[in-house]
Amino acid sequence: MPETSTVADAITYTPDTPLTAEEKAKLEPSQRGNDPLLHVEHLVKEFPVSSSIFRRNSKRAVHAVNDVSFDIYPEETFGLVGESGCGKSTTGRCLMRLINPTSGTVVFNGEDVSDMKGKELKNLRHDMQYVFQDPYASLNPRMTIGELISEPMYIHNEGGTPEQRIDTVRELLKVVGLNPEHINRYPHEFSGGQRQRIGIARAFALHPKLIICDEPVSALDVSIQAQVLNLLDELQQEFGTAYLFIAHDLSVVQHISDRVAVMYLGSICEMSDWRSLYAEPCHPYSQALLSAVPVADPDLQRSRERIILAGDPPSPIDPPSGCLFHTRCPIAQEICSQEKPELREIEPGHLCACHFAKPFPIEGSSIKL
Amino acid sequence: MAFGKKKSGEAVDPLANTPLNNIMDEVVDLKEQPIPEGHHLLEVDDLHMFFHTKDGVVKAVNGVSYTLDRGETLGVVGESGSGKSVTAMTIMGLIDMPPGKIEGGDVLYRGRSLLQMSEREMQNVRGNDIAMIFQDPMTALNPVYRVGDQIGEPLRIHRGYSKKDAVDRAAELLSMVGIPNAEQRVREYPHEFSGGMRQRAMIAMALACDPDILIADEPTTALDVTIQAQIIELMQEMQKQNGNAIIMITHDLGVVADIADKIMVMYAGNPVEFGTADDIFYNPIHPYTWGLMRSIPEQVTDEKKPLTPIKGNPPSLVTLPKGCSFSPRCPYATDLCRNQVPLTYTLPDGHYSKCHYALDPDFIKGRAPENSRTYAGGNPRVVVDEPAGAPVAGMAKQAPGTVTAVDGALAQHDTKAASAEEGEE
Repeated sequence: MPETSTVADAITYTPDTPLTAEEKAKLEPSQRGNDPLLHVEHLVKEFPVSSSIFRRNSKRAVHAVNDVSFDIYPEETFGLVGESGCGKSTTGRCLMRLINPTSGTVVFNGEDVSDMKGKELKNLRHDMQYVFQDPYASLNPRMTIGELISEPMYIHNEGGTPEQRIDTVRELLKVVGLNPEHINRYPHEFSGGQRQRIGIARAFALHPKLIICDEPVSALDVSIQAQVLNLLDELQQEFGTAYLFIAHDLSVVQHISDRVAVMYLGSICEMSDWRSLYAEPCHPYSQALLSAVPVADPDLQRSRERIILAGDPPSPIDPPSGCLFHTRCPIAQEICSQEKPELREIEPGHLCACHFAKPFPIEGSSIKL
Repeated sequence: MAFGKKKSGEAVDPLANTPLNNIMDEVVDLKEQPIPEGHHLLEVDDLHMFFHTKDGVVKAVNGVSYTLDRGETLGVVGESGSGKSVTAMTIMGLIDMPPGKIEGGDVLYRGRSLLQMSEREMQNVRGNDIAMIFQDPMTALNPVYRVGDQIGEPLRIHRGYSKKDAVDRAAELLSMVGIPNAEQRVREYPHEFSGGMRQRAMIAMALACDPDILIADEPTTALDVTIQAQIIELMQEMQKQNGNAIIMITHDLGVVADIADKIMVMYAGNPVEFGTADDIFYNPIHPYTWGLMRSIPEQVTDEKKPLTPIKGNPPSLVTLPKGCSFSPRCPYATDLCRNQVPLTYTLPDGHYSKCHYALDPDFIKGRAPENSRTYAGGNPRVVVDEPAGAPVAGMAKQAPGTVTAVDGALAQHDTKAASAEEGEE
């Protein structure tokens, strides 16, 4: 039986010999030997629920995020995938301290985020920005887009004189593909895709090191979605920003991410670089997610094997015993309901939390997609 | 209104004394009538519906035509604002007139014009003969009524069920669409249901009266991919059982890939391309359809290619561009496109396109996106994990090498027509 290593070992990868700059550029961002930009370890977030006003001190809680660990390297796109309610947005919000995690460490750029207050927190949010899911709700309808995009600069007192800021805003509008003449328009005058571009321009206004994109394209049409994905890609190449890309659509995540983590019910069940995750998904849940993505090709769609999961995810208030996924898992065995599988490394850089992932696969446990 | 004046002494239950029960009286059930010779179940013929607003005339439905038979599924694909939902709502008579106005064309259901019907007759059609599933199950269900009462409502209205019978039948319908503990669930309110369950409840409600036509307006857009797969499978199953026709409205070509028999691609109120699913996926001839296909991220494991999105935004329906409405966003637009509205060019098998170059194989060749059939010969990129050279199921239908990109769309149509004839003999 090969040794299984812990999460912490697997995610810090150090090459044996120092690499030249050229060689480095060819590698995936996570393998360039840089220190991680963001380090998350054992992150837990629980929201207490009071079932009635007479039992306010009951210990019941929604286990939104349950022991999540990952690293994000500079210039990397890290995808976080899962169904709604699996805790991916909560994870993103905890990283930025929009909500306070219950426990765990978040280290950004070498500094611990969890105890930050006041000025430190403000500085953190200078380097870590957020693009929200709903482009209709995340822009203040009473501000012009010039005001919206320059607001981060006002808050952080950056960008020089007001005239210089306006120039920067015009520049940003040009970069995200909007007409700089529209600087004095209001959000309602723009379509959904254009509004999402405004949200992205605002996030880039301070040249942050990390942008958390929380389902930035799920509210958009496919043709507009492709525009926004390409824009994010171009901006990353220009500014070298790292992304945490949160989405429920695996095909979108695959397209943009260097590494992907699949979340289910608050825990990561599989994490890998995008190639091996899509070529060889080991966790039955990842396989189900992958097979649920519709393919715009009737021949392939009809001929490929599909796993259609029954029902909805269980409630995060009373998560199932053992493996969280065993209630919907097509290959669940007795052990799955009793013992919680550890997130272990099954191949270099490929982590999976399943009793029956490599090297102990069971018959018919994996499907050909 | 007469409804409000009804005396209801004790309990205030608006559903208990549904006055709509009365409309059943003298109206004949259209569903039971045979389809007249030479007609289809539903025929939409050159339908024009414009909104007359103070900003100008919005050409929301601008010449839509299609036919639909029982057991068939029509996919209507297009971006938001392309008129897909408005077309469906015009058919259902759900558009307020004014500001809406039918400017031409007709909708025939079993040979009878839906547009000529009185409101009373339409009420009998809606929910009974043609039912609709709305996009957002969170808002389409009434939060203050129990789910069972809402599912039972069409039965009480159209079939004259008593309240108790309606709720019992609602429970059966709920368990049919795969909701466990249906007897308890009918007594719950919509907020107690998850998104996928609400959409199932909507489907149960739409199927309550066993309609001929089910119009699904983006039924899965608000749902996760796993739940989306469940809902699509459910709709297919229900269709197999009931034999109803489905009109599936979506912006994602992938969603209609395995469910649609015919597909209509809409852009700016116009159907720009219409054909069988095979035509649309394997021989698309309109640049907008190509754009939609290229916008979908491919599932690849070797190398990522940048997506090729359609540039720009859909035009305002008040001020449509001169010439072809897609020309400002079309990468292949010529002066002809910018100045002249294209006619509808129809191929021999009914596949049509509104593009000046629809019948020009040289134009289409090399510009249309590749697909699994044009890769014929066993390109490994077609299927994840597929070893090179192995035939993909479905591709075996065609001998490798016979079909190049769209080597004369016409030529291939001819072979298809020929083989269809052979089958009939």
